[in-house]
Amino acid sequence: MFPFTGLRLLLPALVPSWRFFDAVSASPRVDYAILAAPDEAAGHWEEFRARPAVLRLGTMLRRLAWNPQWNENLYLVSLSERLMTATGVETQAHSQRELLRRVARHLDRHGLSGPGDYLQIRLRFVSRTGPGEDVVSEVAYESDPCLLAGLITR
Amino acid sequence: MTLDSAMRITAAMMALAFIQQSLEHLHPAARLQERLLFVPRLILSLLLLAASVGMPLSALHPSYLLLALVINHLVILPFFNGPYNGGADRMSLLILLCLTGAYTLPEPRWREMAFGYLGMQLLLSYVMAGWVKVVNPDWRSGRALRDVFLFSAYPAGENIRQWAGHPRLLLYAGWAVIGFELAFPLTVLSRPTLLAGLAIAALFHGANACLFGLNRFFWIWICAYPSILWLQERVIG
Repeated sequence: MFPFTGLRLLLPALVPSWRFFDAVSASPRVDYAILAAPDEAAGHWEEFRARPAVLRLGTMLRRLAWNPQWNENLYLVSLSERLMTATGVETQAHSQRELLRRVARHLDRHGLSGPGDYLQIRLRFVSRTGPGEDVVSEVAYESDPCLLAGLITR
Repeated sequence: MTLDSAMRITAAMMALAFIQQSLEHLHPAARLQERLLFVPRLILSLLLLAASVGMPLSALHPSYLLLALVINHLVILPFFNGPYNGGADRMSLLILLCLTGAYTLPEPRWREMAFGYLGMQLLLSYVMAGWVKVVNPDWRSGRALRDVFLFSAYPAGENIRQWAGHPRLLLYAGWAVIGFELAFPLTVLSRPTLLAGLAIAALFHGANACLFGLNRFFWIWICAYPSILWLQERVIG
């Protein structure tokens, strides 16, 4: 309720911890599947907004001034971590809802889905295995299929 | 640098950073509800920029605009259920709160303390980041920075991930970062060393912005630089 929720979230900013990259733990990726019916099993998972193969210097410099999509990707990472670590039902529900809505909106805007389709997302956590450069993925969360039309708001 | 001029420069720089952030939230892909939260933030930031650079908007003193921005954030934070952009948002809020205190507190000494607190937190932001790394064996061996490039969510392109295959380079880079962060307090001993330290720090944030897409960190961290320049002059002279 205003302003108490905002104050609860604002006040920690006065005493920040500044513990950037203190440990590098398993890192989330968001995958999605588009289904024709809610009881259909997801056959093909696609990584949401996979990184470009090559990011050129010109693009990097342009993104210094304008980088909304990547910043939203970082928010999705935060939401994924909150969803897996939160003990409160409200935080879990908020994270799940935001993840689904933002993925659905992107798919809708890019013509990658139809209004009658269903969306399912999963969170895959990537980590290193062993002392070398081998990495593994582990699926830690799968949403229920949701009607895309119900997720897309103006 | 006087307290008043340092506060005005900080307010103008923060307003510019808030304008950049707000415009990113107003892009057409964002939901209407999100855009409605950031239209007032954009307008307030534009007015704060105008007031800070001395444009004749006498009715709109920076203190009122800063208080309005704080209220605006009391609505924005619950929408995202916390910071949208992690540390960059935390620094944004810290600068906003310290500036609000510096502009609105009644006693000159309290105003100095509010603004000086920002300078102190900027210094801590580097020292603490260095400390948590140097006590971690993975950072000391270079393993942690390799992992950042290998599998973390931050490298903005697959070609940047390939840096994980250069362990010796990353070992040196990791120690350079740790060394700089831990040594940062020494730079406040004189004005030339502090200016050099801040220039190196800005380059570091610029590199993070290019490699990891952390553009908001770059813009918001340099907004706090006037506070440490003022604090250094106030304390050391």
